[in-house]
Amino acid sequence: MTACIMYLWQARHFCVTDVQSEADPVRIVSDESRSQDAQDIDFMGTDQVSEVREPTPTASGIVRRLADFDTLGDALDYAADGACGLNFFDARAANPRVQSYKALQSDARAHALRLIAMGAKPGDRVALIAETGPEFVATFFGCIYAGVLPVPLPLPTSFGGRESYVSQISNQLNSCDPMLAIAPPALTEFVAQATAHMDGVDVLGWDSFEALPAPAADLPRPSPDDIAYLQYSSGSTRFPHGVEVTHRALLANLNGHAVGVGLADEDRVISWLPYYHDMGLVGCLLSPIANQVSADYLATEDFARRPLSWLSLISRHDGTTLSYSPTFGYDICTRRISSQTRAGDRFDLSRWRVAGNGADMIRPSVMEQFARTFAPAGFNPGAFMPSYGLAEATLAVTMSRPGDGIEVDEVDETRLGGQGASADGAEAGAGRTRRLVNCGYALPGMEIEIRDHDDIVLSEGEIGRVLTRGPSIMTGYFRDPEATAACLRDGWLDTGDMGYLKGGAIYIVGRAKDMIIINGKNHWPQDIEWGVEQLPHFKAGDIAAFAITTSDGEERPAVLVQCRTSDLAERARLIATIRDRIKTMTGMSCVVELVPARSLPLTSSGKLSRSKARKMYLSGDIQPLDIAA
Amino acid sequence: MLTKDTVLPRLIEIITPFNRAGTDLNAKTTFATDLELDSLTVMDLTAEIEDEYDMLIPVNMLPDLETIGDVADAVVKIKNA
Repeated sequence: MTACIMYLWQARHFCVTDVQSEADPVRIVSDESRSQDAQDIDFMGTDQVSEVREPTPTASGIVRRLADFDTLGDALDYAADGACGLNFFDARAANPRVQSYKALQSDARAHALRLIAMGAKPGDRVALIAETGPEFVATFFGCIYAGVLPVPLPLPTSFGGRESYVSQISNQLNSCDPMLAIAPPALTEFVAQATAHMDGVDVLGWDSFEALPAPAADLPRPSPDDIAYLQYSSGSTRFPHGVEVTHRALLANLNGHAVGVGLADEDRVISWLPYYHDMGLVGCLLSPIANQVSADYLATEDFARRPLSWLSLISRHDGTTLSYSPTFGYDICTRRISSQTRAGDRFDLSRWRVAGNGADMIRPSVMEQFARTFAPAGFNPGAFMPSYGLAEATLAVTMSRPGDGIEVDEVDETRLGGQGASADGAEAGAGRTRRLVNCGYALPGMEIEIRDHDDIVLSEGEIGRVLTRGPSIMTGYFRDPEATAACLRDGWLDTGDMGYLKGGAIYIVGRAKDMIIINGKNHWPQDIEWGVEQLPHFKAGDIAAFAITTSDGEERPAVLVQCRTSDLAERARLIATIRDRIKTMTGMSCVVELVPARSLPLTSSGKLSRSKARKMYLSGDIQPLDIAA
Repeated sequence: MLTKDTVLPRLIEIITPFNRAGTDLNAKTTFATDLELDSLTVMDLTAEIEDEYDMLIPVNMLPDLETIGDVADAVVKIKNA
């Protein structure tokens, strides 16, 4: 392998002195100096760089069509007539692997023939480990052309956790029941481990799949109402739900997305979001394809290591940028850039037209801090574009208007009380307010209603359950009529979120009832409770897991555990064991409190009420037991 | 030729600024439970280690790296490959 080939864009270097940040003493070296240090080294994991290639152009050269196609395959066929495509940058945001839509179409058609030759029938499932790379995209579209449902599954993310990764994908594989699973060659071993108990699931690497013969065959012609793919970003890890997205629902959502951002000629999508998440897959891959836009990617794990590469990529692009992130992505950039480094010397964010916010609770203070930090780089706070959505609605339900930025509504804590979603109640006092973000207006064809617990529709300003209806709602959860019936009635999807409308815009008060969302990752309390139940001496119903919100809007998990022992040292030991267990499962540090037996509240049907337990804990009505010093 | 004996002390130096909990650092220290590092911090640390040794830790290795000793072994393995 040759040393790093200088790519055209790389010529624009940023000189940074190593500096120590006051705010964050842990940081010593900034990202850009890191990439300079490592500029000439040859590092593993990079694919053979045989030639320097220009990224695909921003202008497609064909007439823009806003996702008005019958099927996703038709959308790619049209995009392939233009010059746009996808560009996969390496860990230093350089040397893109370029995949034009034309090349993608041709690879995907060959993949479709391979699947058909393997016996794939329309409606069969193929699981794909969703690595950010051209192989995943070509295989995903190969499935689409073959009428097979691709099912993107997650990558491992961190040190340790082999067991939990394998068990997570194993649960998802069980749920989607695929004929075949295809993965990066280095990960086939994990997938084989996860499918060991299943009959007849072949596991292949991208390379061995591509080596299979692709004999000529007729490609099926899917109907717009056929399911296009399954999305597993919703539901708990242990009890996953695969969202069924039809071609019609998808394309309606992608049209809404293009209309919502006011798609412009100079726009380019830049993303580090994982393809196994709806925002990464739908918003940053399928949307650019269906709307003939070029996209530039950093792998998620590369972003996590060098987040400022994201901003470098945006700086280098000459046109305007559409780029989205959950709150923590903006947060990590603000934290990472040293206080002594002038953002204006390193970045040019003046052409970042839409800086989308979504996928978790939007924290206004984080966004304001980002805007202040990057104002010298020309960042315009009006570029912030909050949105609200969920996988069950394909992706977006509402988007704010381009240019409006973050609009905040100050709401008295007392109004939020009792909704299972108030800020840290232990500190809540009279006159305390919480700042809620305007998440925008319903996309074309989508409707929103706020209802109370008796399904009565509430008027503007009243907080209640958020329901939505329209063309991009899922048909259901794959092979799970019970879970489907629980959230989908008469065409209305119960999002599980609490919120209110004001001036036609939605304000989300609390996300998904009981869900714990930290750093953009969803943790289901059921999973955490189940993990604790597996420890000796605990049983179902002894444990309540929920999120508590600190005063700056940060979420942290808390677990209440009913305990029968009066031995103080034994209690301390239990707490340590439970904390370790949860840390191993979720990677999160959490608050663990032992509470007296029978102190956790039950619902009228005898089930644990997490929201009530949370409220009683915060108000002091449940008192934790003493432990040894 | 790198050996675990030289890599381990250097890794501990690199990890020390991340050790806010003041945990005893040795080959058996685990990232998730002993050091209580969240996944973002782990990635930050990963970048530090990669830059120190001019290498990239492949994604398929990460799930098996539970302890500082595991990382030292991985560094030795990659660098001597």
